[in-house]
Amino acid sequence: MTGERARNVDFDAVLALEVAAFYALEARLLDGERYPEWLELLTADVHYWIPGVENRYRADRTCSYSADHMAYFDDTLEDLRMRVARFQSGAAFAEDPPTRHVHVVSNVEVEATPDPQELVAHSVVIDYRNRGDQVGDTLYGRREDRLRRVDGNLLIARRRVVLAHSVLPSKNLNTFL
Amino acid sequence: MSVDVNDLIDMDRGRVDRSIFWNDDLYQLELERIFARCWLFVAHESQLSKPGDFVTTWMGEDHVIVVRDRSGVNQVLLNTCPHRGNRVCHAEVGQVRGFVCNYHGWSFGLDGKLRGVYEAPAFERTPGFDMGDIGLKTASVAAYKGLIFATFDPDPPTLEDFLGDFRWYLDVILDNDPDGTEFVGGSIRSVLACNWKIASENFAGDALHAGWTHESAAQALFGQSVPRLSDDPDSFAANVNGHGWEFNLDLVGNAATLGDRQILRYLREREREVTERLGEIRSRMVGSISSANVFPNLSFLPGQNAFRTWHPRGPRTSELQTWVLVNKGMPEELKVAYRKGAMRTFSPSGVFEMDDGENWEYSTQANQGFVTRNQPLYYGLGLGTEIEHPDMPGHVFRGQINDANQRAFYRRWAELLTDPPTAASGR
Repeated sequence: MTGERARNVDFDAVLALEVAAFYALEARLLDGERYPEWLELLTADVHYWIPGVENRYRADRTCSYSADHMAYFDDTLEDLRMRVARFQSGAAFAEDPPTRHVHVVSNVEVEATPDPQELVAHSVVIDYRNRGDQVGDTLYGRREDRLRRVDGNLLIARRRVVLAHSVLPSKNLNTFL
Repeated sequence: MSVDVNDLIDMDRGRVDRSIFWNDDLYQLELERIFARCWLFVAHESQLSKPGDFVTTWMGEDHVIVVRDRSGVNQVLLNTCPHRGNRVCHAEVGQVRGFVCNYHGWSFGLDGKLRGVYEAPAFERTPGFDMGDIGLKTASVAAYKGLIFATFDPDPPTLEDFLGDFRWYLDVILDNDPDGTEFVGGSIRSVLACNWKIASENFAGDALHAGWTHESAAQALFGQSVPRLSDDPDSFAANVNGHGWEFNLDLVGNAATLGDRQILRYLREREREVTERLGEIRSRMVGSISSANVFPNLSFLPGQNAFRTWHPRGPRTSELQTWVLVNKGMPEELKVAYRKGAMRTFSPSGVFEMDDGENWEYSTQANQGFVTRNQPLYYGLGLGTEIEHPDMPGHVFRGQINDANQRAFYRRWAELLTDPPTAASGR
């Protein structure tokens, strides 16, 4: 990608602010374990994907992640609903007392697409997690979303989160990024 | 070591001393007498289809390269340059023509032999330097129905003897289809602050936790609890040489958690063919409520087809690597369904696995307390339930709600720890 191509020449400040505000809302819902409300930010045809990341040589034609490889999440809305149902079952003992999350979203960039109702948004997500009296851990990832405007509101139609971790630095991934 | 290992476990009464999950000296002994000695799972043959294909993995805390050489033989090479000790391979999977050390340019063939050195004339002038004497340390390698194992024991038993009659059980997943098995692409790695044995013994025999720990996932998937197993007349724990498999004969109990009708249809449609191949009992084990562990640290779940190793990282930490196993002859869409289903249930983001880690971490970390780690643990469930079964080999126990396989796991552990290595071991 050349510098000129990488630069977003049609910068739309209002739209960029709207997307940043949308992500702040999403992060607040996730921090508050308000998962049913979070689900409402997704389109019915959403694909939510967090691929596993492998250390591969630069010369390797296979990318460090790929669609047909194993993934932490490779989910439809129905799959995501099932995960939310677990959180809400009242029996998720490993979440009681609750984990404290701080989702931080930054580096938001917005690109237009040929479809006037859709845009591509790049962002960085960080989630600090703390449970009990443990030290906690921090997850880092770069996101690329396809956002769709439905009835005036932005919704997530596709999300890819590429983690900076080849080895997840903890026992689980008990949230959404 | 001033501790007598045999004092730490009392399997006739079902008691375990918690120091085995905490003590650093015992851990070093495990690295020497278990991980540098046992046949350890290192790769699936499907990961190495062409010469130069490699994966890297761990044998204990020793990093190794598993690579197919030019003659088509799978080699297991210690990933350390014999010159200054640096790694010679830094990717975890890929395709190479050889291995070159980044430090001083020593290069090695796929068979581990030293092929070239940088500034060669200086070495050639050096008295006693002989390229033929130097190479990457190799392990002995053997395979059983697609699974590649390696050992650094200089005088190992055959893999067949190491697995023994556990092969009868392994065939349930490795040989229920004439085309054999393969791993789907990639793997997922994560870190748990738990002792490796706590995870391994769980898969060897702990059906008890399934209904309790995993209540939340069962509710989310089925809207109901895991069925009670303690009165299931067709439920067993079986073990051979410390390897354990707990199971019932419900065919699809584990597989149902993948939430995919085409998987259940596949299993039901194949039941007759699998019966012809493996007999009725094993045909009912293919996707049943079950779990298994090949001693010491290869675990898997029939049905979900999740395969994993618990690499030790000191006595209080383990690195988990997870793969998904499928039948090679299965339609592509089913392989995708297994891959996604296994990840949704048993990966660090899986709705089942998410509840395991916390339990195992506190089972380990609680032992920081001096008084705590002097409290014995109860492993007596199912004492006296051993049966003779006309078809099932090994030690067979009535009822999968049982600690029998865990007791066998720790018996084997103690047997190895108290058996000093021969002079050549690890050299």
